[in-house]
Amino acid sequence: MNTVISDPGGTPGQQKESDTGIIAQGLARSFGTVQAVQSIDFRAAPGEVTALIGPNGSGKTTLLLMLASLLRPDAGTIRIQGLDPAGDPRAVRALLGWMPDTLSVWESLSSREILTTVAALYGIGKTQARMRAAELLEVVNLGQLADTPARVLSRGQAQRLSLARALINDPAVLLLDEPAGGLDPGARVQLRTLLRQLADSGKTVVISSHVLVELDEMADAAVFLSKGRTVRSQRLAEVSPQGRGYTISSLDLDALRRGLEANSLDASYEPNMENTGGLAKVKLPGEMQAAALLGLLVGAGVPITAFAPSSGLLEETYLSLEDEMP
Amino acid sequence: MSTFTPTPTAAPAPVLGYFAGIGTVFGLEIRQRLRNRGWYIMLGIWFVVVAAVVGLAALSAAEGEFGPGQVMFELVIAFVLFFGMLIAPALSANSVTGDRANGTLAVLQNTLLTPGQLLWGKWLASWAASLGFLVVTIPLIAWAMTYGDVYLPAVPVMLGMLALQLAVVCALGVGVSALANRTLFAVMVTYLLVAMLGIGTLIAYGLSMQLVRTEVQVSNQVWPEEYVSENSYVEWDENNYTCEARTYPQETFATDRITWLLAANPFVVVADAVPRAPVAEDPAMISGIGPMGGISTGVRYSQAGPAYQVACLNGVKNTELPPAPDPLWPLGLGIQALLAGGILAAGRNRLKTPAGKLASGTRIA
Repeated sequence: MNTVISDPGGTPGQQKESDTGIIAQGLARSFGTVQAVQSIDFRAAPGEVTALIGPNGSGKTTLLLMLASLLRPDAGTIRIQGLDPAGDPRAVRALLGWMPDTLSVWESLSSREILTTVAALYGIGKTQARMRAAELLEVVNLGQLADTPARVLSRGQAQRLSLARALINDPAVLLLDEPAGGLDPGARVQLRTLLRQLADSGKTVVISSHVLVELDEMADAAVFLSKGRTVRSQRLAEVSPQGRGYTISSLDLDALRRGLEANSLDASYEPNMENTGGLAKVKLPGEMQAAALLGLLVGAGVPITAFAPSSGLLEETYLSLEDEMP
Repeated sequence: MSTFTPTPTAAPAPVLGYFAGIGTVFGLEIRQRLRNRGWYIMLGIWFVVVAAVVGLAALSAAEGEFGPGQVMFELVIAFVLFFGMLIAPALSANSVTGDRANGTLAVLQNTLLTPGQLLWGKWLASWAASLGFLVVTIPLIAWAMTYGDVYLPAVPVMLGMLALQLAVVCALGVGVSALANRTLFAVMVTYLLVAMLGIGTLIAYGLSMQLVRTEVQVSNQVWPEEYVSENSYVEWDENNYTCEARTYPQETFATDRITWLLAANPFVVVADAVPRAPVAEDPAMISGIGPMGGISTGVRYSQAGPAYQVACLNGVKNTELPPAPDPLWPLGLGIQALLAGGILAAGRNRLKTPAGKLASGTRIA
């Protein structure tokens, strides 16, 4: 499992950094007495998938609504490709594709009709809209269901339709709120590939989710939110300073313990009930060290059956942030 | 999600024509309504009910000799207007709240569509849907016209004013719908507004009577002897009387000063706008007066005031018909337009994004 994604095709955004992607600073927004967003700084660069991570109620959806030009921030500034959504919402909307976390479909219309209608609302001509709709229906694998009423679509299918809808105007900036919620594993893989392709073609992709393993595999950067604040922005290529936890399983726990102690590593051990085997959890500073340790253990004759990071990179950060939080 | 071609087939022009946007919203709404089976069922029930009423009117009118056509025609119009007031709020007041509940409103707002285009499209679509109820009554109107006594110049005006009244109610419904969060609430408020126009104006008129109480000098009417004696068959002429010289004060109401309160009543607007048939010279040709004609006559007497309501005013016989008063319907339509326009403008403000203040409990998407 390749958890660290290298920068695809060099760093884009060579023109003028402030005119591309998304830059939001000092955002705040409250609903009545509820301060949904207190202080969020957010940046997403073109050509990258930026993950928006945080527990429920941390302000992810509110932030996406502000970025989507639907909600006015109480404070702070937003620039989408250099444009201000509050000042010129229509210009921003022409560049924007937004997929809400709700299933927003007109139930009596067919998928094709929904796509052509929304295309028309972007000023796309009839023939072009039809072509674009047909193309996107194939992209999201809804070709077979294109002409049935959206009412009969399953949750996952409706989500794929919603994604196609968000792509109808070929947006430069794509905002996806929990796009993978109802998708089956196959569709998740396809979504990942699709988003990767979109980012590689130079689009700014922002995705919020709490399925962290999934984000691990496609995100280039991550912004962590908690209680309406940005608690960390990081690139996934950066190695986290505290290292990563690894889980090592062996048929012989004692041999594993000896091997680890020989390398003077602290670990927690969990023996198996039914045999002499068990597993050990250990913190390692980086992948190089992990590879070296595996070599040493195997060389020492320890019967290793599994050697892998305990959790995804983002999950690791997420959990470490929860520790830091008061 | 197999393959994606980064080269798009559509390079969207970031312009959406004003009318193109309205047209797309209209199409979207109409398509949904046409696919709703409930609408057809309602149309069917509607036709049966109106046909039954008109049929009964035809039956009872056939016994008296004079023209049942006008009565039937006016009955259809009055019915369509009455039930239109009941149906149009239901057809229009869910148009924005429905999208809000569905999450599709935010999707529309996130396109190049402006709030104004959205409201125009939704209003026109709900109006078209309620005009469907007028269209299915065309056979009944045609039936009434076969009697040959319908005053033809009145027909297009009556239908046109009826359509306008439905437009006003739909505008109220769509405007309230844009302001409200829940469909039920929007429908209720729209009903209350319609009731304010339909019944509230009558109540206001009735209560204001006390404010315009005046005293006039009247005297008794004296009828010819033969009217009083019991065993005579003389034709009754209601203008064949004289006035006593002795006058006494009587309370009456200067209704001419408060009739404007009735102006915004939908029935008054329609009835008042319709041209009246000229008084027929041959009394046998007089066509019946239907409900709309009755309202129109009543309003004109009210506009004329006590000078034409008292038989013997200041000891002088008063048989004059009131002069044709200034038409009341432009005022009524103006009040309605102001009300609907105000609510639509507020609704448009509410639909503006990025949204500033939100009502508590609102979820954008």
